[in-house]
Amino acid sequence: MTFSAKHLVYGAALIGFALLPQLITVKYYLHLSVLALVWVIAAQGQNLIQGYTGYVSIVQAGFMGIGAYSTTLLGLHYNLPVWLTILLAPVVSALFALCTGYPSLRVKGHYFAIVTLAFNLVIFIVLMNYSELTGGEAGITGIPKPGSKGGWLNFANREVYYYFVLIIAVLMTSLAGLIVRSRIGQALLAIRQNETLVGAIGIAAWKYKLFAFVAAAMYAGLAGALYAHYQSFINPDVFGLAQSLDAILAVIIGGSGTILGPVIGAFVVVFLPEYLRFADSFRLILYGLVLVLATIFMPRGIAGVTSDLWTRLTRRAA
Amino acid sequence: MIEILQQIVNGLAIGGVYVLIALGLTTVFGILGIAHFAHGSVSMFGGYLTFFLVASLGFPLLLAILVALLIGLVLGVLIEWLAYRPVRNASHINAFIVALGLTMMVEGLNLEFFGHEQVVIPTNLSRIFDIGGVTIPELRLYVIMAAALLIVAMTLFVEKTKTGQAIRAVAENRDAAILMGVNVKTIPMIVFSISTALGVCAGVMVGSLFAIAPGIGQWLVVKGFAVLILGGLGSIPGAIVGGLVLGVTEALAAGFISSAYKDVIAFVVMIAVLLLRPQGLMGKS
Repeated sequence: MTFSAKHLVYGAALIGFALLPQLITVKYYLHLSVLALVWVIAAQGQNLIQGYTGYVSIVQAGFMGIGAYSTTLLGLHYNLPVWLTILLAPVVSALFALCTGYPSLRVKGHYFAIVTLAFNLVIFIVLMNYSELTGGEAGITGIPKPGSKGGWLNFANREVYYYFVLIIAVLMTSLAGLIVRSRIGQALLAIRQNETLVGAIGIAAWKYKLFAFVAAAMYAGLAGALYAHYQSFINPDVFGLAQSLDAILAVIIGGSGTILGPVIGAFVVVFLPEYLRFADSFRLILYGLVLVLATIFMPRGIAGVTSDLWTRLTRRAA
Repeated sequence: MIEILQQIVNGLAIGGVYVLIALGLTTVFGILGIAHFAHGSVSMFGGYLTFFLVASLGFPLLLAILVALLIGLVLGVLIEWLAYRPVRNASHINAFIVALGLTMMVEGLNLEFFGHEQVVIPTNLSRIFDIGGVTIPELRLYVIMAAALLIVAMTLFVEKTKTGQAIRAVAENRDAAILMGVNVKTIPMIVFSISTALGVCAGVMVGSLFAIAPGIGQWLVVKGFAVLILGGLGSIPGAIVGGLVLGVTEALAAGFISSAYKDVIAFVVMIAVLLLRPQGLMGKS
């Protein structure tokens, strides 16, 4: 796509998202859209480590869980305002990512993927079993909404929360775009292409990899916090392995290593299982089949395919 | 001391199951470089199938296992041919996504065919042996023996037969293997069918020792990968040593520290090994 066409797409997408609540008539779809926007944030983070750096991390939902539980527990035990705890949640996730990323980034490829997968399981088991703190499988209910009661914005209103998450998702997407275009982003891309070469020209690849891993965790922590305050209820079930796989799928289906990819992918991951609900018990089978076929026939994701199509069309016109 | 021995014996049974799962994963990884994530769910399919044949159709247990094994062999070929061959030359991430999609499909099929109830394969083996203060239930002893037998058979197959040699050759150097006249189209099929059959055996063992339920397959495959990391990706001796180490560690952790956190302890051991020996216990650096 050309420079101007790209901006046209961004603008159209923004307008579309701003108008979406007015176009949606079914309340349930608005609910799904809020969830999808939360997933956009998580997927943008995943894209930094998976799409740009080429390291498949399988712990994104675990970090979302850490974010969700941090914001909830900090509010519950220290009486901090919701705004503050939402901002602290990514910091807590980042601390965990620093401690786990340092050892796990010493290994590459499949080793890294499996180690991060183990981290996700550890996080899940601790959330499940450390009931004094986390409430175990029953979880925590009554998580407060942002804003004061009777304030000028009512965050209990779904539409208000939609715009709240939308603004954050747009900010985080732009931030991801800035990171990718910066020197750091170029280093990440170089690591994906050829890590040995990056080391050979004197760039400390591990610093950049750790940066991408911690940044991904911060995105996840923020997404988890927004999720917790939206649902007002959390339990470990939504922060398990399956959800981490969803984050990976969002990046792959949308188009890894592109800025719009995770946005499209997040919506697909949230909406597709819902649309397959007509198939009831065949849903899982169909979802799996769609994934396998999409990977075999459309390996560059939706963003990649559209971009190719666009190039072909404009070339023909010219 | 008796207590420690008891826990080690307990660990050997589950360790044997881990070894069988890991052998399947490690040969597939060695040949194709694929993290075959659906392996656990396929194994559970084998367990479910055995249960179904015994409980609903009244097959004798050994016949049911044999039928499940044969179906496993065919299933392995189909998986390689339909799902993994098309992404043979794509990036590893794509093969991994295919594996995830496949996992969902197999889990979905398991739900569709066998429901979501927890099932235990009936074996009618209820005697308990007492050897010098260490108690071993009959079933557990047979599981350990069967696992040992399969491990020896697999090792002999890979080391001694012509096909085994071809498998090792492809794992070592694919291009050179092609030049030497190894048929690299059939080798992956053979590997997949053997690894699926081993997985079916592991599924039957899990189903008779513990229980089969949705989600168990994923838990099993994650353990299998942990074994691979412990032992070294692609290494067969590594899978054997790693599986036994993981099984015994878990049993000791469950017996002496905390059964709720035994998996956490197992993963901590795995990560510690990775830090000290990134190539795994038996892997080549």
